Amino acid sequence: MRVPGLVFADSSLLEQAAREKALEQVRNVACLPGIEMASMAMPDIHWGYGFAIGGVAAFNTDDGIISPGGVGYDIACGVRLIRSGLIFTDVSEQIPALVHELSRSIPAGVGRKGEIRLDAHEIDRMLLKGAPWAVERGMGWAEDLECIEDGGCMDGADPARISNRARERGFAQSGTLGAGNHFIEVQAVERIFDKQAASLFDIFEGQLCLMIHSGSRGLGHQVCTDHLKLMSTTADRAGIKLPDRQLACAPLNSDEARDYLAAMACAVNYARTNRQVMTHLARRAFEAVFHRSAEALGLDLVYDVSHNVAKFEQHNVGGRRMRLCVHRKGATRSFPPGHADLPARYRKTGQPVIVPGDMGTGSYLLKGMESAMAASFGSTCHGAGRVMGRRAAMKQIRGNELRQRLEARGITIRAGRDASLAEEAPEAYKDIDQVVEVCQQAGLSSKVARLRPLGVIKG
Amino acid sequence: MNGPVNMESYEYIGHTADVGLRAHGKTRAEAFENAARGMFDLICDISGVRQRESFPIALESAGGDETLLADWLNELLYLHESRGLLFSGFSVEVLEAGRLRGEARGERIDSGSHILRAEIKAVTYHMLQIKREQAGWSVQVLFDV
Repeated sequence: MRVPGLVFADSSLLEQAAREKALEQVRNVACLPGIEMASMAMPDIHWGYGFAIGGVAAFNTDDGIISPGGVGYDIACGVRLIRSGLIFTDVSEQIPALVHELSRSIPAGVGRKGEIRLDAHEIDRMLLKGAPWAVERGMGWAEDLECIEDGGCMDGADPARISNRARERGFAQSGTLGAGNHFIEVQAVERIFDKQAASLFDIFEGQLCLMIHSGSRGLGHQVCTDHLKLMSTTADRAGIKLPDRQLACAPLNSDEARDYLAAMACAVNYARTNRQVMTHLARRAFEAVFHRSAEALGLDLVYDVSHNVAKFEQHNVGGRRMRLCVHRKGATRSFPPGHADLPARYRKTGQPVIVPGDMGTGSYLLKGMESAMAASFGSTCHGAGRVMGRRAAMKQIRGNELRQRLEARGITIRAGRDASLAEEAPEAYKDIDQVVEVCQQAGLSSKVARLRPLGVIKG
Repeated sequence: MNGPVNMESYEYIGHTADVGLRAHGKTRAEAFENAARGMFDLICDISGVRQRESFPIALESAGGDETLLADWLNELLYLHESRGLLFSGFSVEVLEAGRLRGEARGERIDSGSHILRAEIKAVTYHMLQIKREQAGWSVQVLFDV
């Protein structure tokens, strides 16, 4: 190990992580060259492939590396929160109709194709430009863009570094939700912790909100697959000993690293465009149900975060200002008030951090903190984190019973299959309140509001 | 395809985030075929997939047999996702010195008749293993789902 492993957890969360191979994975990452300070994991840590889920690792640009496995297959998988001017008690009777309309307008589930078909030229423009591409084509508002990390477009994207296979996989999937843990939720703000920040985020108690969780679909998956293969012998040649093949990596100053970063940026742009397109479709669904324009309904984007990504950022390490390549694999950026990378409207509050919980419990809106910069390279948790495998959940939990249980609590469910619902049961996840509390105590992020689910759409 | 006597041709392995698979065979080629069946059994109900078309597969890899295993499954995943195909029959005819030749048999996805179960994002290199066993071979992979 070149640096220590550092896991942010309380005793019970740490015990859960120690029962599986997550801590070994934190240790493995600590062996990679150029790693600074520590190989870290957020409180929602669990066993992944290569990096642990919840992993944060920063590498210097002199002898550091980039690892596609440290970003993951679902590049720029992330979450966005859209607020409304509606109070949910005023519209509670229309929630089932809204959930139905959302599920009709946004393709979800295994093998579902999107409405948007692009030729190779147009897909390359999208990969280059990101969410602004969608806004230019009428799918969204100009104000949306400043509420997406990097204005919705990651610099350095080069579509020439994307294989035709990746393009083919991304072809029919733009504007689709996907399956697995991805979801769209209609939520109500049930508690405000920080009145000042909530008011600056335009969030109030009882407010109806929409959360979208999705990623870069087949295009991103193929980019990771392609570049892991291209890098399979790179580490060996660079004299780097890998404890796990999934940690295949390349020195940041190599051609392999540059190629991956240019392709990764394309996948990041694809993911953000994808969430932008779904936002557009969701606004149309709201308009159909409430017979008012999306503008009149106040369907503004609060923020869009990516929790599987590698980014170049400036950080202080041992009193030195350094440019680092920060890998967040199931972790969310949590930048403090005043940070130059934040849009003007959030400079005072710090970055909005969106943390989805499981579908039966609730989700959080947090804000970034100054203390996170020193503690975790400005990072916090990304969700509740799994405790139970998908197969185990499917064996133990009956999908139709779970559906009834959630519906009895007033949650409208639209899921492709009951079995896929069971995989995502609340019991399969850690306690989101506990995870977020540990982040608060450790100074990684600060609670602004808690949201509870009213309607859930899953693939 | 005949599975080894007294042995399931594949089983799933517990993992917190994803799904692992161990497949067995009298030969390495047969274990590769069973791994493909196991993968498509996660994606859909393969009992409803007719073998109407055959797709030849030829792969070469400098990274050894384990890489070839990941390549074989990734190739099938790519065909499934980009061409909208499901497979239920697999043969691996040549598997030697970093070379694989085989085929997959199946048909186009028909949302009316096929039951789709899961989306597999990728075949990872984590836990990737090929092992000699008493009665043949076993291979192990972890899928990102």
